[in-house]
Amino acid sequence: MSSLARHRGLTAIWSSERGWKGWFSTVNHNDVGLMFLVTASFYFLVGGILAMLIRAQLATPHSAFAGPEIYSQIFTMHGTIMMFLFAIPMIEGLAIYLLPKMLGTRDLAYPRLTAYGFWCYFFGGAMLLISLLFGIAPDGGWFMYPPLTGKIYSPGINTDFWLIGITFVEISAICAAVEFTVTILKYRAPGMTLGKMPIFAWYMLVVSLMILTGFPPLILGSILLELERAFGMPFFQVELGGDSLLWQHLFWLFGHPEVYIIFLPAAGVVSTILPVMSSTTLLGYRWVVAAAVALAILSFGLWVHHMFTTGIPHMGLAFFSAASTLVAVPTAVQVFAWIGTMWKGTPHLRLPMLHILGFFVTFVIGGLTGVMVAVVPFDWQVHDTAFVTAHLHYVLFGGFVFPVLAGIYYWLPLVTGNRRFFRLGEMAFALIFVGFHVTFLAMHWVGLMGQRRRISTYAPEDGWTAINLISSVGGFVMAFGLAMVLIEIVLTLVVRHRAPRNPWRSGTLEWAVPRPSAAYTFASLPRVASRDPLWDDPGLPARIARGEGYLGEPRNGWRETLMVDIASGEPEQHVVYPSNTRLPIVLSAITGLFFLSLLVKVYWLTPIAVAGVVALAWRWIWRLGSKADLGDQPIGHGVRIATVAEVDRPPGWWGSVFLLVANATLFGSLLFGYAFLWTIAPGWPPPAFIQPSVPVLIAAPAGAALALVGALGAVRINRTGGNPSGFLLTALAGGICLSAAFAGLLWGAPSPTGHAYGATVWVLGCYGLAHALLVGLMASFVFARQRAGFVSPRRRAELAIVSVWGAYLLVVTCLIVLAVYLPGLVT
Amino acid sequence: MKDLLRILVSPVIWLASFSAIYALHGLVCAVDPGMPGPGIAWPRLVLSLAFGLAILVQIGLLALLASARFGAAPGFVRFVSLAGGWVGLVATVWTLIPTLATTPCG
Amino acid sequence: MLDPGGPAARSISMLWWGMLIAFTAIFALVMALLALAWRPARDGAARSSSERTWIIGLGLVFPSVILISLLAYGLWLGERLIPRDDPDVTRVTAEARRWSWTFSYDQNPGRTTLNVLHIPAGRPVDVAITTADVIHSFWVPRLAGKLDAIPGHVNVLRIEADLPGTYAGQSAEFSGPGYDGHTFSVVAHGPEDWQSFLEGGL
Repeated sequence: MSSLARHRGLTAIWSSERGWKGWFSTVNHNDVGLMFLVTASFYFLVGGILAMLIRAQLATPHSAFAGPEIYSQIFTMHGTIMMFLFAIPMIEGLAIYLLPKMLGTRDLAYPRLTAYGFWCYFFGGAMLLISLLFGIAPDGGWFMYPPLTGKIYSPGINTDFWLIGITFVEISAICAAVEFTVTILKYRAPGMTLGKMPIFAWYMLVVSLMILTGFPPLILGSILLELERAFGMPFFQVELGGDSLLWQHLFWLFGHPEVYIIFLPAAGVVSTILPVMSSTTLLGYRWVVAAAVALAILSFGLWVHHMFTTGIPHMGLAFFSAASTLVAVPTAVQVFAWIGTMWKGTPHLRLPMLHILGFFVTFVIGGLTGVMVAVVPFDWQVHDTAFVTAHLHYVLFGGFVFPVLAGIYYWLPLVTGNRRFFRLGEMAFALIFVGFHVTFLAMHWVGLMGQRRRISTYAPEDGWTAINLISSVGGFVMAFGLAMVLIEIVLTLVVRHRAPRNPWRSGTLEWAVPRPSAAYTFASLPRVASRDPLWDDPGLPARIARGEGYLGEPRNGWRETLMVDIASGEPEQHVVYPSNTRLPIVLSAITGLFFLSLLVKVYWLTPIAVAGVVALAWRWIWRLGSKADLGDQPIGHGVRIATVAEVDRPPGWWGSVFLLVANATLFGSLLFGYAFLWTIAPGWPPPAFIQPSVPVLIAAPAGAALALVGALGAVRINRTGGNPSGFLLTALAGGICLSAAFAGLLWGAPSPTGHAYGATVWVLGCYGLAHALLVGLMASFVFARQRAGFVSPRRRAELAIVSVWGAYLLVVTCLIVLAVYLPGLVT
Repeated sequence: MKDLLRILVSPVIWLASFSAIYALHGLVCAVDPGMPGPGIAWPRLVLSLAFGLAILVQIGLLALLASARFGAAPGFVRFVSLAGGWVGLVATVWTLIPTLATTPCG
Repeated sequence: MLDPGGPAARSISMLWWGMLIAFTAIFALVMALLALAWRPARDGAARSSSERTWIIGLGLVFPSVILISLLAYGLWLGERLIPRDDPDVTRVTAEARRWSWTFSYDQNPGRTTLNVLHIPAGRPVDVAITTADVIHSFWVPRLAGKLDAIPGHVNVLRIEADLPGTYAGQSAEFSGPGYDGHTFSVVAHGPEDWQSFLEGGL
């Protein structure tokens, strides 16, 4: 088969529908990645315009540009959009587009999930955008502290837009994180061991694990606050046993890791580009990996440093002050590894490198002011002033926007196939760099002079006028620079000025794909022997195109790729991906209907939307698999391996494991909230504890155990050729028994609106009930699949997934029963 | 998967012990910080003991990661997992030293 | 904060200037290392660039030494600034609400003042901070750091003014549309004025 015939055959299999309709049914990372990047850039524009409005307002004293009500919406939405609708989706888009190419595989682990995540982001973002257009946007500051955001002080729908819209958008982050984790661990080019992965993949692996454990506390907090606002469950009301500090803990448990979730991918971009720009390899690759891991985990021990002024005892503050200084060490390791890399090689001053230099200057200053605010007494003075605003912009603009701009210019030839023609970039960089520092260096000073963040105006007597005006001018200069970048990107797309295949002479695999990238990404999957396969063999792209790697022959209309062993990178399973489908957009629209029904309080619609989600999810997984054994598949080079339906650990098993990591974090945060209210909230103990019910105490563990035994028994009997139906029905019976037990628990629970204790018991009970129903549903699904002929002793993959969820269910059931009944037993 | 666990275990255990000691600190201050202890105030006694225990756990982990039986095979993963072990130990000492040096409940 | 009028604010101000000088030096060092990467390599020989120098020396040891010293100083200073038993201390209460401050005085239980806090100059004052509605924050930049007013909790902040005079104070936690004007003032009195304030005068 010639390269051209192979190209045509693979393109026919992998391409999306033609024209604009293709956007709604594509599941290909080449498309969805760009859709994320374009949408995120749009929100950067919106957030940027809001920033300009803020600077216009503050440019002069006694400004009458916007009243306090509108101004609160502007600054709240500026922060919210930049964090949730620009930075995180930008990272997702970059990684969706690049990871498969860098790892040498054809797509991410779950293509339909990629698309589902995008549409959740799209619809959720649209909700927030609409609230902004109608002037009913959230207005409590981007960290939404209750009681200000409670029903009493914020009766309008504004806050609900934030809580519900952001939770909807976060689905996309969780989906992406599960997907990146499984992709990086299991979907790589043959031969790519952990130590040979591109450094960007390591950073994204770390970041994905952080998203899985960092976002659930925020999701939980949003659910609790919305429950309080909508149904009067008083989690944050001190008169009824709640405590507003609980929100701060949950928010910052998310909020601090969030900063590193944004910074680390950018650090991955720097670690990728900087060595190429210096014609060398990264100094201390293994040290940098260790530093990224250390930074990620340390960042979870910093959250209280946002709460130094809340009256926590000094020893408590000291723990977090110490952790906040320590986190600077792995950061320093990376910074010096980068500078050392430049010393090792020969740096070239090309446009991406300019932005990396901008990153160095800005981020080092931001890091140093960060160490300053980690010192408790200093933070007591500057907390909630413009100094902190300036610091966080140095960190986020320096640590994220500059590297992203470097990345955009670096990978633009890959995306467009074109080179820059007009060379606006250098001028744009100068404007951005100068504008940024003028804006924010000045802001430090005015913060030290006492200007608080979030004020809508100030008096001439305050003496801040000149500094604020300078700051505003700088802001507008920066905006011009960013606009020029946008213009240049569009021009590069439009003006045909062909780039060579590997314009920067890079060593990583993304430069081995056709340019611009083809729908199938790699014509065949290469075997790699080092971190820079293109330096080992400059002829590799041609050999890939000739089909000399694995899976080089288009067949059966299959979108094929390989799963590998985590440590060795040797091929383990053969994967056939699903093709174009509108299921993701429809499922996310129905998911959106669920959130919308909660937002506008049309509660009869909620169960209908839930039923719709369940039905579509059922259909989603029903489409996979086959009714006949396929046997081991040839993948080229004389190797045959099993397909994913015929293994013990299919992609769905891996996805479940990592999704359960996020789920367990959510549950753990709930238990933390319970313990926190118990020990810290003034209104405890509650009037009465729930008394243990003997039927629930027996039925709950028994039901959960039955569900797990059924799930495990089905796997075992199926392996020996027996019929798993009986065990699956046992699992279903266990799920039903457990659901009844949780319903009984809720029946005997105190009113959820009388005291935070009752509210917490209700949430715990509902969490258990939802999971019992879910496992029952899974057992029914596999039972139906078995009846329909999708399960055989070889095709065993689906059975394995139920037991993972069954085991999780047993653990949480025991913990819930213990947490609910123990207090009543003890007292 | 085992390699991933080797790399993550020590820092994750640090995070667990850090959070647990912070929670313990909240608990002892909520109960009755004024109660007399044997020679030193009892909140400090309890917290220092927990601090010592956390350090011992980290040393044990580091030894395991360095051992032939539980450690990774020589190479990249071994280096990163040992680095992780040191991160866990240093982080434990560095971030929990306030148990010895600052006022517990003021 | 840059013009301290009391011991707490003064020590924090000194901390700031110290950190500013030290960190400017560190920043200059990093930038110099960055700039030196661009100097041409002499006769093609590779420049010294080992993991030992860059990662262990500059990446691990150098920041650790600085950070440990800074942390130790910060904790020591924090210990000094937190309220401790002191026979000389005056106790007052500050209750915040949207958008005003009500102050009351332990030494004269009946007396309350609105948006003006009276304290004796030259003596430590413990302010017990609470709120009647949402979260606020009590901050007199020239006297001390800030401390939040949180529903259901009472937080105690130690302030002290060196000299008699009026010091501007403001709430520093966003609280809704009236946040801009949520300010108050602290009036520090000499011994005689303070005595007459306690007796109901002024």
